[in-house]
Amino acid sequence: MNLTEFLLQKTWWIPCYGLVGALLTLPWATGVVKRTGPRPAAYINLLMTVVAFIHGTIIFRSIWHLPPQILTFEWLRVLDFDLTFSFNISVINMGAMELITGLSLLAQFFALGYMEKDWALARFFALMGFFEGAMSGLAISDSLLLSYALLEILTLSTYLLVGFWYAQPLVVTAARDAFLTKRVGDVILLMGIIALASIAGDLNFPSLYRWAETVKLDPLIATLLGLALVAGPTGKCAQFPLHLWLDEAMEGPNPASILRNSVVVGCGAYVLIKLQPIIALSPFALTALIVIGSVTAIGASLVAIAQIDIKRAFSHTTSAYLGLVFVAVGMNHLDFALILLFTHAIAKALMFMSVGSVIYTTQNQDLTELGGLWSKMPATTTSFLIGALSLIALPPLGGFWSLLQGLADFWHDSGIVLLILAVNSITTIGLTRVYRLVFLGESQPKTRRAPEVPWTMAVPMVSLIFVCLLIPLIMQKLELLPTWTAINKSAAVALISSSILGVAIGYAIPLQKAWSRSLQLPLRMSQDLLAYDFYIDRLYRITIVFAVSTLSKISAWGDRYIVDGLVNFVGLTSIFSGEGLKYSTSGQSQGYILTILVSLGLFTLLISW
Amino acid sequence: MLSALVFIPLLGVLIIGVGGFLKTDQIKKLSLCLMAIALGWTIFLGFNFDLTNPHFQFQEYLPWIDTLGLSYQVGIDGLSLPLVALNSLLTLIAIYSSENSIKRPRLYYSLILLLNVAVVGAFIAQNLLLFFLFYELELVPLYLLIAIWGGAKSGYAATKFLIYTAVSGILILGTFLGTTWLGGSHNFDYSNALTSAIPLGTQLILLGGLLIGFGIKIPLVPLHTWLPDAHVEASTPVSVLLAGVLLKLGTYGLLRFGLGLFPDAWAVLSPWLATWAAFTVLYASFTAIAQTDMKKIVAYSSVAHMGYVLLGAAAMNDLSILASIFQMVSHGLISAMLFLLVGVVYAKTGSRDLNVLRGLLNPERGLPLIGTLMITGVMASAGIPGMVGFISEFLVFRGSFPVFPIQTLICMVGTGLTGVYLLILLNKAFFGRLDEASSNLPAVLWSDRLPAIVLAILIVILGIQPSLMVRWSESTATLLAPSNFQLEQVSSIIIR
Repeated sequence: MNLTEFLLQKTWWIPCYGLVGALLTLPWATGVVKRTGPRPAAYINLLMTVVAFIHGTIIFRSIWHLPPQILTFEWLRVLDFDLTFSFNISVINMGAMELITGLSLLAQFFALGYMEKDWALARFFALMGFFEGAMSGLAISDSLLLSYALLEILTLSTYLLVGFWYAQPLVVTAARDAFLTKRVGDVILLMGIIALASIAGDLNFPSLYRWAETVKLDPLIATLLGLALVAGPTGKCAQFPLHLWLDEAMEGPNPASILRNSVVVGCGAYVLIKLQPIIALSPFALTALIVIGSVTAIGASLVAIAQIDIKRAFSHTTSAYLGLVFVAVGMNHLDFALILLFTHAIAKALMFMSVGSVIYTTQNQDLTELGGLWSKMPATTTSFLIGALSLIALPPLGGFWSLLQGLADFWHDSGIVLLILAVNSITTIGLTRVYRLVFLGESQPKTRRAPEVPWTMAVPMVSLIFVCLLIPLIMQKLELLPTWTAINKSAAVALISSSILGVAIGYAIPLQKAWSRSLQLPLRMSQDLLAYDFYIDRLYRITIVFAVSTLSKISAWGDRYIVDGLVNFVGLTSIFSGEGLKYSTSGQSQGYILTILVSLGLFTLLISW
Repeated sequence: MLSALVFIPLLGVLIIGVGGFLKTDQIKKLSLCLMAIALGWTIFLGFNFDLTNPHFQFQEYLPWIDTLGLSYQVGIDGLSLPLVALNSLLTLIAIYSSENSIKRPRLYYSLILLLNVAVVGAFIAQNLLLFFLFYELELVPLYLLIAIWGGAKSGYAATKFLIYTAVSGILILGTFLGTTWLGGSHNFDYSNALTSAIPLGTQLILLGGLLIGFGIKIPLVPLHTWLPDAHVEASTPVSVLLAGVLLKLGTYGLLRFGLGLFPDAWAVLSPWLATWAAFTVLYASFTAIAQTDMKKIVAYSSVAHMGYVLLGAAAMNDLSILASIFQMVSHGLISAMLFLLVGVVYAKTGSRDLNVLRGLLNPERGLPLIGTLMITGVMASAGIPGMVGFISEFLVFRGSFPVFPIQTLICMVGTGLTGVYLLILLNKAFFGRLDEASSNLPAVLWSDRLPAIVLAILIVILGIQPSLMVRWSESTATLLAPSNFQLEQVSSIIIR
């Protein structure tokens, strides 16, 4: 067995590298080793990620022209219930894994600079290791239960990463909301998995697909099952109605946001793509996917343009793009979904690096307090521009080609064409607005002295700029680009004009910072409506949260005063009756005899009745 | 050689009780040694345990009072072995985490050892009367442990516990007598207890007695109110034993005597039992959300998690019964860990009130490692994969869903709520900013952390390799399950 073959057999080591790296940081994270400072823990994790990336690259090259390789291992076999996990080492899965480990490597490198002064550096890198391990496991997992387990581990590490600066009040609620929102989706997904395990028997994707081809399910059961399977990815990809956590999660450290907005949300969509043939058993569930996706895509892009927090302005566009992915999956155009995930991940990662640099330098996330950074931070400005250009549809960068693919796929479905164009336009307006506010205009007090970031942050950022520029070439290598003759020219024209329209509107809207909140009431109200996410969080607070807390208060009250009250009442009654009866011990035998006679009489009467 | 598990701690009770010459720390060390030997002996038994044999092994028989039908007959099978091991481990941990300067050490340690004797005896007894004796014996030390070493209202809580458990004992005794006499058996041996001769109506009445009797012990809503009081007043080691082991006596009794002796009546009642389980889970979970005392939250979470055991037992197929056994062990480990950690927090800060505690994760002045362990415990309890809570609950749901889909789904809502109340606990007590008043907390010693670390490691290992645990009980679970007929039946209904 040569080395490549050996490495291929051991592909499942790749997710383990991240986890091992996380475990190795324990001495530093728990404070057992103090003398060295937390840096060695960071280096160990970086090294593990490099190893994971190289291992993945070797396999990626070796299986390039090979059919997918399946690795299985038996996890648990009890009675007649068999839990065998399998991994599918295909080109697509390995590509996804390369994307994850690569972006994780860059994000961790970036974190070396960004988190430089944080005392809990070791803990941060441990969590990033967990993040990376779980995601790369998800990329190659071919078993629904394993995918579910890894999604849950992602939920846990999101909770811990968002709650990283746990002393701040906003962070506390953000971490809680992130965990609980995703958990709602996950628990419903688990319900679906339990049902699937009972009906279909096996939980590995290939056998589920075979099962889905032949089975005839009761429509109601199929719909419930499909909706349950949709719920998990809905929470994970921050789709309506489980979308609010991503916005709040921006309270966490930025390097984690880089991963969260690019590949973590993508992981949810990846599971959704794998689940598509099963969801397709129910036409209703597919329609639900399309509705969820469209509502989120339009709503989130609109909300994004009214944010004043620089990170939140971008996190909402993440939801919007993932909404398009949902629509694509619902319409069974998985190629569009995958390409969009790919280009979006890289572009978004670059934009979040640029945002991280701005925050690091100015110590400020408020858009209204920034401005004029373009001349002071050239690398950051360039990465913002390149990231933005490859996110929206402007040739020749990645976003254009992926959205063009979408338009070509749905060319005869005018609703979805309009949706894609609208999302592209609105996103462009938002990006132009942010660009103007941050990089153009006058310098403000907080941006007057703004040096470019140190090399630890600049190197990953600039590398990612090159990756972004190379995306079209990569896509061509992967034969993802259409040939010149196959391009739908009118779609391309429509797409480009929608981008240009967006840029134009973005430049035309007035942006005076002193009155960023408009004085005219109608405008101001719509601005607020968008800025506060259509007040959906308040809606939740007066519905779901209120219902749960009221119900819990009622049951706690009932428990204390009714159930336990009854118990105490019985106890008190016996004590008091005893206390009362003790006065009947008078010592006079007539009284005792009378009592005995009366009782006997009653007793006899009762028996002879 | 099985009896050694009873007699080793009993020896300790005698030595400590009689030997006035021992110093406090010597008493603790002696108890630790004895429990370590007992744990080692359990492990030794486990290695010699025949996995393929579903029946009792290592049987021992000693005639005792023949005229009564009482004999000392013990044996161990796949249902009792994990629980015996859990009991040895948690008693060891409870002794280890007892305060060094505890008052009246001789009485304290002999009572804990006596408790261990009683619980082991109950798990391995094969004679109904012998089980009852051990079951009642356990009451005395626990009553005293709560009453003497408990908190401010310990008298109330201990008496409540005593009365509840005494009622439970009476019901169980009555059922045992009825079973033996009506079944026409000449003694109380478990293997002789035949219920086939009893008409179904009578069987239902007898099973009802067992259900309420053991339902008090588990506890099931609405028979549960003694438990939060007992936990709040008990000291940490006692809470560990109470939640970790003693509640299992109830579910063990249901599986062994309820399902084992009355399979027909059990099958009749099983839809109601599953509904009861779902109700218990939801009720306890909602009640836990509104609590502000950390111990009460964990206590109500115990009630909720024991509901899953009942659900698995109600579904009556081999997988669900195996999962019930697994869930007992998993809950034993997790709740013991949570109570230990809450105990550390209480010992260091002097409070368990979530409205008072803040920011305990603070790395310099707080309890960062305890907080980290708490996150692990909370996540294990909430059923995050990679830890034992997930796979045991998954198996319970997987086993029960084909039989009782609605009840199982309701119970799964309960796992979601587990996340809610435990996250409230975490966020309020450990996140946020540590206030100045509590900035000089006493240092946490490694001896405070060690028991929780051991449990955390076990929780993770069993979560990653559940087969280490389930294989002990597989064959016994198959024996206990009357049939698998419902499973195929329901699947065929769903697929048209």
